[in-house]
Amino acid sequence: MSTVTPADTRAVAARALAEIALGGRSLREVLAQQLPQLPQSRERAFASALVHAGARGWLRWNAALPRLLQKPLPRRLGALQALLVLGLTQMEDLGVPAHAAVAATVDAARALGHDAQRGLVNAVLRRWLRERDALLARLDADAVSRARLPNWLLQALHADWPAYAASIINASNAEVPPTLRVNSARGSRADYLQCLAAAAIDAQAHAWIASAVTLAASLDVTRLPGWFEGSCAVQDGAAQLAASLLDAPTGARVLDACAAPGGKACHILERSAVQLTALELEPARLTRVRDNLARLRLHAELRVGDATQPATWWDGVTYTHILLDAPCSATGVLRRQPDVRLHRRASDLPALIAQQRALLDALWPLLARGGTLLYATCSILRSENAAQVAAFLAAHGDAEALPIALPAGRADGPGWQILPGEDGLDGMFYARLRKRTAC
Amino acid sequence: MAKLEILEFPDPRLRTVAQPVTRFDAALARLVRDLFETMYAAPGIGLAATQVNVHQRVLVCDVSEDHDRPLTLVNPRILAQDGTQTYQEGCLSVPSIFADIDRALTVTVEAEDVEGKTFTLETSDLLAVCIQHEMDHLQGKLFVDYLSPLKREMVRRKLDKRHRQAATA
Repeated sequence: MSTVTPADTRAVAARALAEIALGGRSLREVLAQQLPQLPQSRERAFASALVHAGARGWLRWNAALPRLLQKPLPRRLGALQALLVLGLTQMEDLGVPAHAAVAATVDAARALGHDAQRGLVNAVLRRWLRERDALLARLDADAVSRARLPNWLLQALHADWPAYAASIINASNAEVPPTLRVNSARGSRADYLQCLAAAAIDAQAHAWIASAVTLAASLDVTRLPGWFEGSCAVQDGAAQLAASLLDAPTGARVLDACAAPGGKACHILERSAVQLTALELEPARLTRVRDNLARLRLHAELRVGDATQPATWWDGVTYTHILLDAPCSATGVLRRQPDVRLHRRASDLPALIAQQRALLDALWPLLARGGTLLYATCSILRSENAAQVAAFLAAHGDAEALPIALPAGRADGPGWQILPGEDGLDGMFYARLRKRTAC
Repeated sequence: MAKLEILEFPDPRLRTVAQPVTRFDAALARLVRDLFETMYAAPGIGLAATQVNVHQRVLVCDVSEDHDRPLTLVNPRILAQDGTQTYQEGCLSVPSIFADIDRALTVTVEAEDVEGKTFTLETSDLLAVCIQHEMDHLQGKLFVDYLSPLKREMVRRKLDKRHRQAATA
């Protein structure tokens, strides 16, 4: 038997968190690269939980460091900075007893190759424990370190959803277990729940989303019954609404314009035998669509192309149904993607809004008369959602918004907005646009 | 002492079921020495005789970092096992492939040493994983056999590609 040389779990987590929070890399990518050095699955799960919690808490606990250090840490000690943030996260957010967190963090400093800084790590964490009450009061006095969200986003939340800002902030900082989508083409949800129960996995059917199963705790999804046979996929309940809102019947000609990673495309295919084209700009991301289709035993036409430039890929035959799951700020899914808050800037918004508008304008002519385009984002910002669609409707006389009514969320302008945490769902916006047959 | 050639998946000889050892002689002692040399050089933490095309129930392992806890099991048999653990296993016969495998957390094994003396060992964690992995080899079984058909096919393609590249290089 051979094995990878086991690494210190906290040191691996600290290095990963530094790359995410200080190096600007995506959490998903960094974890995929760093976790395999931990051979034991429970260590990988712990490191992953640490990195997620560290990214969620970064804007709070990193803000505490200047008060705990004599002078700022030099840039080359980024992993050590992340280790200190993880030390505070463990004590304050994860309920690790203080003495255990301090001892393990000091040991991890050695594993990081910062033997000389072990005393510093010990001093910083002990000072936190001594001055904790005063320091917590200071962190709570600042809006950013209290909410753990960047200032631009807090301002946008208060402007767009003043009555809901507090609950959005709470939901965005919550740790949530995965939701599954049961592949109805391979079996019923009731049967799959029985398989889960037989495997001693605690799970519950979602109250009103027919394909959704909520797990009680996170786990390695490849351990789920029937995972490799395509019995289920991981997808938030809010995203599982896309297929039923698009409601493409058997034989429909469907375009999924921004398809990667392919969850919604797969769901559309699981529901009915449609002819689906999955378009994606990035070839590497299209590979994920291909893998998901293969695992779920589904078939679609895959195309690399820029949805705003149909001339470069479109065959000239209109679609009866188009799903435009547009690139967006991802402000509705902060709870599942805790790194978004660290990477997204207010200055990214104008380009995203312009891109969404360009996508709507370019895809509308590809829709058959009487056909439906479903506009979707995982944003909670009105500029990307209700205002975007309202402007589109004003400019396109042959477009009308069809009503949406769901048990969670509310109508917002011409569409429907679910805010994060409502009925346990991610924040999503949907608008159903029909092309009038005569105008 | 000699370093031996390690068979690689999907070599059919890896599927041979090993025979019990009946003679505890100099040839057995030499085989054990060679197994250790081959394992340490690889580097690995366990090696079964099957992997070097000797089909006798002999395995060696050493999960220490400093190569100072060598363990030889001749005719090993599991008396008891308990619990489960998941470890990302690799195998010298399936190079550079690692996959999570579920095994018993604790095993009690009875075996003979190289001189034929019977002993019992109760162990857990990595050493327990390693012993179970090597005992599988003696039955002609590989860790990739525990993977889903889809994943096993991926492993086979990956290794085929590497073998082709090695052949043309």
